Amino acid sequence: MTKEDKELVSRIKELESINLARDEIRDVVVETKKGIEKENEKLANKIHENLLKNKIKSFDIVGAIGAGKTLILEKIIEKISSKYKILVICGDITTRIDAKRIEEKGSETIQINTGRECALNAYHIYQIIKNKNLEDYDVIFIENVGNLICPSDFILGTDMRITVVSITEGEWVIEKHPMLFKMSDIAVINKIDLLERLGTNIDKMIEDARRFNPKIQVILTSAKTGKNIDKLLKLMNLD
Amino acid sequence: MIDKLNELEKNLSNLDEISLKKVPELLKSLLKDLAHDVDNYIGDFPTFIEPVHLEGPVKIGDDVLLGPNVYIGKNVEIGDYNEISNSVIFDNVRLGENMKIEDCIILKDSVIDLSDSFLKRVILSGNNKKSPETFKRIAF
Repeated sequence: MTKEDKELVSRIKELESINLARDEIRDVVVETKKGIEKENEKLANKIHENLLKNKIKSFDIVGAIGAGKTLILEKIIEKISSKYKILVICGDITTRIDAKRIEEKGSETIQINTGRECALNAYHIYQIIKNKNLEDYDVIFIENVGNLICPSDFILGTDMRITVVSITEGEWVIEKHPMLFKMSDIAVINKIDLLERLGTNIDKMIEDARRFNPKIQVILTSAKTGKNIDKLLKLMNLD
Repeated sequence: MIDKLNELEKNLSNLDEISLKKVPELLKSLLKDLAHDVDNYIGDFPTFIEPVHLEGPVKIGDDVLLGPNVYIGKNVEIGDYNEISNSVIFDNVRLGENMKIEDCIILKDSVIDLSDSFLKRVILSGNNKKSPETFKRIAF
């Protein structure tokens, strides 16, 4: 690769906004971004077909760092691991902390360290499932990288997307992140065991979620106490 | 894992009379037992899909994706924009940039620089740029 090509790739990667592209590379940036979105969607559809063919229920769980995704998953696995053969894919920038926690609940877990990428994409998932014998599994959970922004760029081909927020993030967290809620099937509002102490306006959070997505199902949980995890399982058709 | 690595290397030691039939099974068996260990590298946060085993130290370039099922030996250098899966890279290998390497074995001390290539189910050895007469590419 020439030095100029490398600089171009580097520049395209850095550009979050097409508006920041210099005129002479603007076209290339637009084409590249469109191309990436198209490829991801194509792969996600392929993944979904594959999972359906093998009768695997699949879930993409997104949410900010510390919202409670991993603990919710731990609780879910505790409850259903005797009924289903489960594979969990964890996404994090680095470390395998979450994978280790989930493994301790008895589920097969694969960690993806995304390095400088802020979300999992369909290619990551495709690389895993094409190397697996899918007949060995009934359910696949994907715990996405912790943030409420980047995952909205990449669908992963799962049956459902579940977005987890916690009341500790403040009542405006859903209003500030509409994209993800528009694309989600379930909104989980977690850590309600702290409601009395924090006084967060839960009604506003529920209203915001439903305003962005009238079809979204909203549930209040406490992964710590286990409250409503059974109800969440029902919404996921895993009861 | 070390036994299986040694067995694979021994099986590949004489490339001219190579028993290619054994290679897929040996490779699969080795990669199945891989313990994920990515502590020993120098680089700017590559992407890892486990299991990846870096015997290390491994120098990893930018925008590299390793895994799943990758073993990398000691003193290996991996150039920018490479993607490696289901493969074994033995000690002292230097990889150029922008290669997609899948189901491959790269023998020790090799220097492979095949930019913009998709390498699948091949055994590579030698130095394709500086000493092309040493370079071997054997499909299996």
